[in-house]
Amino acid sequence: MLKSLRHIFNRCTNNVLTIERLKSGYGKKQVLFDVSLDVKEREIVAIIGPNGCGKSTLLKTICGVIPAWKGDIDFNGHRINNATPAQNVCRGITFAPQGSRVFDELSVAENLEIGGFHLSEKQRRSRTDEILQLFPVLERRLQQEAGRLSGGEQQMLALARVLIPSPKLLMLDEPSLGLAPGLVEEIFAKIAEINSQTGVSILIVEQRVRAVLALSHRVCSLKLGKVALFGNAAELGEDSEKLKQLFL
Amino acid sequence: MQLVANIIIAASTILLVGLGFALIYRVVRFFHFAHGVVFTSGPYAAFLLTTRLGLPLAISIPIAVVISAALGATMELAVYRPLRRKGSSPLVLLMASLGIYVLLQNTISLAFGDDTKSIRPNTISEGIRVFGAVITPVQLLTVAISIGLLAAMIVFFRQSIMGKALRAVANDPVLANISGIDSDRVIFWTFVIGSALAGIAGIMVAMDVDMTPNMGMNALMMAVVAVIVGGVGSMPGLILGAVLLSAAQQLSSWFLGSQWQEPMAFAVLLVFLLFRPQGFLGKRVKNASI
Ligand SMILES: Nc1ncnc2c1ncn2[C@@H]1O[C@H](COP(=O)(O)OP(=O)(O)OP(=O)(O)O)[C@@H](O)[C@H]1O
Ligand SMILES: [Mg+2]
Repeated sequence: MLKSLRHIFNRCTNNVLTIERLKSGYGKKQVLFDVSLDVKEREIVAIIGPNGCGKSTLLKTICGVIPAWKGDIDFNGHRINNATPAQNVCRGITFAPQGSRVFDELSVAENLEIGGFHLSEKQRRSRTDEILQLFPVLERRLQQEAGRLSGGEQQMLALARVLIPSPKLLMLDEPSLGLAPGLVEEIFAKIAEINSQTGVSILIVEQRVRAVLALSHRVCSLKLGKVALFGNAAELGEDSEKLKQLFL
Repeated sequence: MQLVANIIIAASTILLVGLGFALIYRVVRFFHFAHGVVFTSGPYAAFLLTTRLGLPLAISIPIAVVISAALGATMELAVYRPLRRKGSSPLVLLMASLGIYVLLQNTISLAFGDDTKSIRPNTISEGIRVFGAVITPVQLLTVAISIGLLAAMIVFFRQSIMGKALRAVANDPVLANISGIDSDRVIFWTFVIGSALAGIAGIMVAMDVDMTPNMGMNALMMAVVAVIVGGVGSMPGLILGAVLLSAAQQLSSWFLGSQWQEPMAFAVLLVFLLFRPQGFLGKRVKNASI
């Protein structure tokens, strides 16, 4: 009763995603301890924290590749704790995992088609055309094997692929990983552009803390699987003392 | 010339069985041993339909292919999928597959007897002379069908969304899952297609040289050797592997005697495993994880 009331409440706020007291991990090993956070419409929320604190685990649990042990994951008023990744993609959550993951044996065009696997042929084609407008680099290489793209281009492709289903929530795990500084700026600028143009909410995990804070509205800092801080991104960006503390 | 013709004929059935086996191996990542008995099921189903129900071959063959496809799909639904759900390793799946093979081969053996059964068209047809080689109509049909099916498979993989999804699952199963591809559905269709190919190959072989319950074992082994020699996951490699293997077999039986066919196949396999384990054109299979 209380639970369903809460979902109705979540539907009335402008929260896209609401997570409450989430516990999760691998096998017997618990990684996340009572993580709570929320993402609002059109908002970018950054997740930062030291290596191994559970950032990727959090995104994997939300998208459904690993099961949530306890707690609540609410997406637009639906409890999605037990949803499969395929169900979540249909609902409007897409996820680009860590390490510029593309289907390297498939062509660029085929990667994009796979992103829209559940769409109709017609929708898939029109979405691909729309998204390619945002990524002129890819448009020129549609028939090329994705494994032959440069690191930056692969990251752009991963980003384009998860945009194909018109998600309401985009989850990005370290999109700048392994990129040269110039390319990092480029990808961050692209993420900001996507957010302002399409209004999609974004949950982004990043190691490049200053850059991601400049991009985000709010920030959630994890430490050993617990939320150490959840607040305004710009404020934290100016507080170097606090930042240092969070990474100790 | 006869030698070349024999090589092409042998290669085309190896190719059909190998294509199905490699498909399942790549997408599901385990050694589907029971593929051999799916191969055998095709001709026996056709035999049953023609002799017991009196259907003409032209009708019983398509039905038999459907039965083979359904048999492979049933193995997936009844055995492999529940095992994967439990998190069983590829080794457990292999053992289960071996079990299915033995069980079904013996079932066929009990139901039909171990003696040779035939669905050969009973009018003994004259061989046709092609470029100085004598080829029976069935052999010609075998080659034509496998080229046709190979072309159809290439189109399926390159053009259809299901074909692309299949390649995506083979390429990176975890990423495919995250991208919203229902891998169970893809795996189901992989079994349907792969098993249909095996059933067709079995029927073609039986129409040429009759059937016995253990015919699938030899066919599977040849297919596996061709797949390994060609490099797992490479279509041109598989064609090359099938041709190379049947060339080695036909040459050895031509010059040394037909008892050398099988030892030769495994000699080729050993040479490749020792000196070029990734096969002709294969890439190393990478372990994906997140
Ligand atoms: N597949 C897995 N099986 C078991 N344990 C895992 C697995 N993946 C991660 N872990 C463990 O879970 C913990 C959190 O890992 P996670 O990948 O979520 O960290 P992270 O914050 O994303 O780190 P990084 O910044 O290095 O990406 C780590 O201790 C890690 O060793
Ligand atoms: Mg991580």
